[in-house]
Amino acid sequence: MIFHVAWRLLRRAVINLWRTPLPSLVAVLTMSIALFLGAGFLAALSGARSLLHAWGAEASLTLYLANSATDAQGALLAERVRAGHPELTVQLVERTVALDRLRTDMRDLSSALDGISPSALPLTIELTPQAQMTSTELRKLAAELSRLPDVVDVEYGREWLDKLEELARALRAAGAAATALILGAAILVVANTIRLAVYARRDEIEIMKLVGATDSYVRMPFLLEGVLQGVAGALIALAGLFLVYRVLIPRAQAAFAFTAGAAIGPLLPSRLFALVAFGGAVGLLGSWLAVARFLRK
Amino acid sequence: MIQLFHVCKAYGDEPPTLDDLSLEIGKGEFVWLTGPSGAGKTTLLKMLFCAEVPTSGQILVGGRNVQRLAAAGVPMLRRSIGVVFQDFKLLPHRTVLENVGYALEVLGASDREIEERAIRRLDQVGLRAKARALPKTLSGGEQQRVAIARALVNDPAILLADEPTGNLDPSLTDSILALIFDANARGTTVVVATHDHALLQRHQRRTITLAGGKLISDV
Repeated sequence: MIFHVAWRLLRRAVINLWRTPLPSLVAVLTMSIALFLGAGFLAALSGARSLLHAWGAEASLTLYLANSATDAQGALLAERVRAGHPELTVQLVERTVALDRLRTDMRDLSSALDGISPSALPLTIELTPQAQMTSTELRKLAAELSRLPDVVDVEYGREWLDKLEELARALRAAGAAATALILGAAILVVANTIRLAVYARRDEIEIMKLVGATDSYVRMPFLLEGVLQGVAGALIALAGLFLVYRVLIPRAQAAFAFTAGAAIGPLLPSRLFALVAFGGAVGLLGSWLAVARFLRK
Repeated sequence: MIQLFHVCKAYGDEPPTLDDLSLEIGKGEFVWLTGPSGAGKTTLLKMLFCAEVPTSGQILVGGRNVQRLAAAGVPMLRRSIGVVFQDFKLLPHRTVLENVGYALEVLGASDREIEERAIRRLDQVGLRAKARALPKTLSGGEQQRVAIARALVNDPAILLADEPTGNLDPSLTDSILALIFDANARGTTVVVATHDHALLQRHQRRTITLAGGKLISDV
């Protein structure tokens, strides 16, 4: 009995939607825009986070030693760092090596370095994390290493990291606020569409109740209408996301080399299902609010 | 089957629509409810199917005190009562067949059962050929017959009819009344509100007369 009643209610919900095409279409499109933007923000956020991780993974620290430090002292210090931090690849860069590197980097202009003594360059220790480190870990490590004897400065691209983190925080906040706002609007639109439908069919509802329909029986087709609108909106949003993934992102990655490290999560079936389920839930919530208010009266 | 104890109904400061009404209608009885317009006939019927609540007094329908029914109990009570409304109250976007079948639909009957029983009732009221039509395409008399078919489709224990023959010509009146009498013969308790005295003369049954909300006679 449950199945044929459920099937009948579903059929009724579809017929009701079909009878009011314009309001239903507006609700479905609003829902699809809200879900598309919400899902888009989440994907962009995940991309920005992966970009940050990619850049964080490339991070390295350089310890600059005092001019008075000898190569032997530098080697001892490097050994000490290596022992204390097995997670780091530690390399002492002696002054002569540093000068050779500089010559290589300067290529045709390397002759300008003729006559410069290696002692003019500082002794440095280069540290590369073997595993990915967060910016917080990197900052903590830099603070710890800066307290070592003979270390006069620690370079790790602090300003760059600060900016990236600030950007990520702003993205997170803006994404959350925009998603909440858009979803709130979608719930309101669905609630209002269903409320209008309920209002238009108030005589019908009265008759249904007079012949013995329970509140749940009267409510069910409206709730199903909300769910159907939500699911339809989610499917349109999915189509939009699919286009973005297939067309826009590959073009952006080809055009902007710095985005190469960014990996937006793939469109996994579980994520697609979650989006459709979420759309249905938003539609259900909107219609529930509309019908509950009407039936309370 | 139906008992009223000192029932009053008043709207605001207006004179009471029903005033200290007490009566009893037994199981399987047929009762005419008559009186001039504004006598309180429709209000009384509405209270019997919980569309109105009395201001004071008690109403028992099928042994259940309607004022003490929980919210979920009202639809259950209504499922045992067939009602023919004065204004028909048909669902405008549903076909005649769907309108008649709706009383079975809320009971959870299967599509096949709904169709079979609704068609049978439409056959009895002479509207089988219009099963797929929408109510707005029917005449007033035809809509009244659809309303009667819907009220009787689930063989209710009680049938309440508010001026069920008001829109019918004399020949149809008798055939519709025959349906109502037939339901009564099968054990349904019937209360018919009418102000058609010719009808009361032609079919003499227990007659309750109201005027100004008061019980004038019960013979």
